[in-house]
Amino acid sequence: MAELPRLTLEQVAGLVPGASNIRPIGKGGQKLVFCGDIDGRPFALKFALLPALTGDADPQTEVEARAAREVETMRDCDSPHMVKLGPVGLTVSECEGQRLLFFSEEFVDGEDVAAILQRDRRLAALEVVRLGLHVADAIRGLWDIGKIHRDIKPHNIVRGKASGDYVLLDAGYAFDVVGESLSQSFVLVGTVPYFPPERFDYTNRRSVMDFRSDLFSLGVTMYQAVTGVHPFWTAGETSHQVFARILNQRPRPPSTIQPGLPAGLDDIILRLLGKAPHLRYRKIEQFVTALRGLGVA
Amino acid sequence: MALYAQHGHGKSDKLTEAIGKGSLDGVIFAARNEQPDNLRAAIAETRSLSKAITLLVDPQFYVSTFVPPRDRYLPQYPYYKAGRVAADFVGAKRLQQYSKSTLDFQVGLGVDRLISPSVYVGSFEDRWFQIALNLADASLTYHAGLKKAPPLLLTFLIDEYAFASNQLVDDFLDQVTTWDVHGVYLIPTRTESTYSQRFEAVHFASLLYAAHVLGQINGFEIVAGYTDFCGLLLRSAGVKAFGSGWAQSARRFDRSSFIQRKGGGRPPRLRYASGPLLNSVLLSELEQIADISELDSVLSGVPLDDEITKAGSPESSAWNQRLSELHHWQTLAKLDAELTGEEGADVDKIAADIVSANALYAMLQNSGVVFDRNTTGDHLAEWGEAVKLFRERAEL
Repeated sequence: MAELPRLTLEQVAGLVPGASNIRPIGKGGQKLVFCGDIDGRPFALKFALLPALTGDADPQTEVEARAAREVETMRDCDSPHMVKLGPVGLTVSECEGQRLLFFSEEFVDGEDVAAILQRDRRLAALEVVRLGLHVADAIRGLWDIGKIHRDIKPHNIVRGKASGDYVLLDAGYAFDVVGESLSQSFVLVGTVPYFPPERFDYTNRRSVMDFRSDLFSLGVTMYQAVTGVHPFWTAGETSHQVFARILNQRPRPPSTIQPGLPAGLDDIILRLLGKAPHLRYRKIEQFVTALRGLGVA
Repeated sequence: MALYAQHGHGKSDKLTEAIGKGSLDGVIFAARNEQPDNLRAAIAETRSLSKAITLLVDPQFYVSTFVPPRDRYLPQYPYYKAGRVAADFVGAKRLQQYSKSTLDFQVGLGVDRLISPSVYVGSFEDRWFQIALNLADASLTYHAGLKKAPPLLLTFLIDEYAFASNQLVDDFLDQVTTWDVHGVYLIPTRTESTYSQRFEAVHFASLLYAAHVLGQINGFEIVAGYTDFCGLLLRSAGVKAFGSGWAQSARRFDRSSFIQRKGGGRPPRLRYASGPLLNSVLLSELEQIADISELDSVLSGVPLDDEITKAGSPESSAWNQRLSELHHWQTLAKLDAELTGEEGADVDKIAADIVSANALYAMLQNSGVVFDRNTTGDHLAEWGEAVKLFRERAEL
């Protein structure tokens, strides 16, 4: 676990001039996150800790590179269901001896799907279809700029309080299929129970990773949301057991766990969970058409 | 029904006759076997026979890497040059030029699909595979800029042994399914040069899986070239159409048919395509079968059977090479028409047909019929195993 910055609300206000009503909202990955109003609108303010300068020609750290990619992804992705960059771009500053990197992003006022599932155990089929459509649009928007998200999971999807729309957060692990890899070889980034099989199984990952990998993670999320059960993971299991299940186990049709689902939803979710990319949808529009064809959205 | 004639040498009036009798849904013309002007004329003539028929031209660009090539009229085509080596495929500009000249030539022909240039792939791990992918990519890009052009089929000419590795086939399928293309012209090349229906089970299962993934799951239009009886299994797995020629050399793709050799082959022996046996047997074998009063059990049930049944015996009939070739298409077309397009049901039907054919072979052999080494029912065990392996892999 990366070390997080130590910041007071006053220090945040000093670092982000014009921000008011600052309050902490949590931490994620390598970042400490606050909410603050800028020009009357709320934004998330994300801070990461950078290593101290050594005086030599310091190379860009992985944290900086990832943050740069995250900012670029939020700025360039045109989907309304992908979180947007806020008015404060990527900034490096110092505070109380800490080298900090920070930026702002759209604050989505709502509840993440993980919290909803923890409280309600599952979502109604209609909501799962909407979630699928909205996140698919975010995946489409990312793929249009040659990127995949790599960390789609309930925790990173927020349902807006006012609109009820789903928004995909945290492009921190976004992968640029033509750009330079930010991960060391054989280091897996993201959240294992939502990984597609090709993340473990292929030696030359770059050649096979595309939006279909994100579709797999969306499939896991939809399965979990509609049944209340993760398709590959049970509490207390080791990561090796999860690997093995993701690679080899075909999950039960969701309707055998949650009867009464719309006809066809099983097939759609199970297709997303295909063990190889070629078994999933080869176009995002095909997935969207299939979901709309259920007649429940 | 989706049987396409795989055009070859000496077309005569066979296509006219077979199209007139409703045995064919399409024709895959071979550039090698016609001069460019004659090819244009043949396409126009065939089109005049039926508006509904699907017409394609296999540009046979791949022959340009065969040494020494048996390329007949190909040197008269603008995209073809004999003796190309791997170095001739280095550089995007060259690949664009190959794609452009090959597709441009087809655009003016009045065909229903364009077929991309490609090269022979012996293994998914060799550099020719990467060249084939690059050519496909270049063709896709060039085709996207063509206005009102027919849909594109990407050619893949792949050795049957390349299908031995499931992992490499998976990688290939992952790659192909990223392309936004209408379809694939898939030619499995065969190692054994003799005409028979044998196909090693593991390789065949993997080919069936590829057909299933590309055609059934991903909705590409797959045309399986040079597949003859094996094409029926591919049809059950998701292929839209399969090709078979009048000559044995156009019923399976064997590279030796495209490489110069000394001397000619012997004239083909007369054959009879038996639907119930899922094989093409020799007329002399049909005579033996008639001798034990089992002729009806192997007849295909197509109109040209009359030529056999109205005579006293198969060998005393007026059966000849031309009738045999037309009958072969009638038989394949009838078997294909029995498929429903429902993958699970079609695979079940093919599996049942294989079991029946096997039992029929056993009965005939037990009754004293002696088959040639290449017309036995040995292929049926391989096919049965292939279907079993395919079902397991595709979870059907």
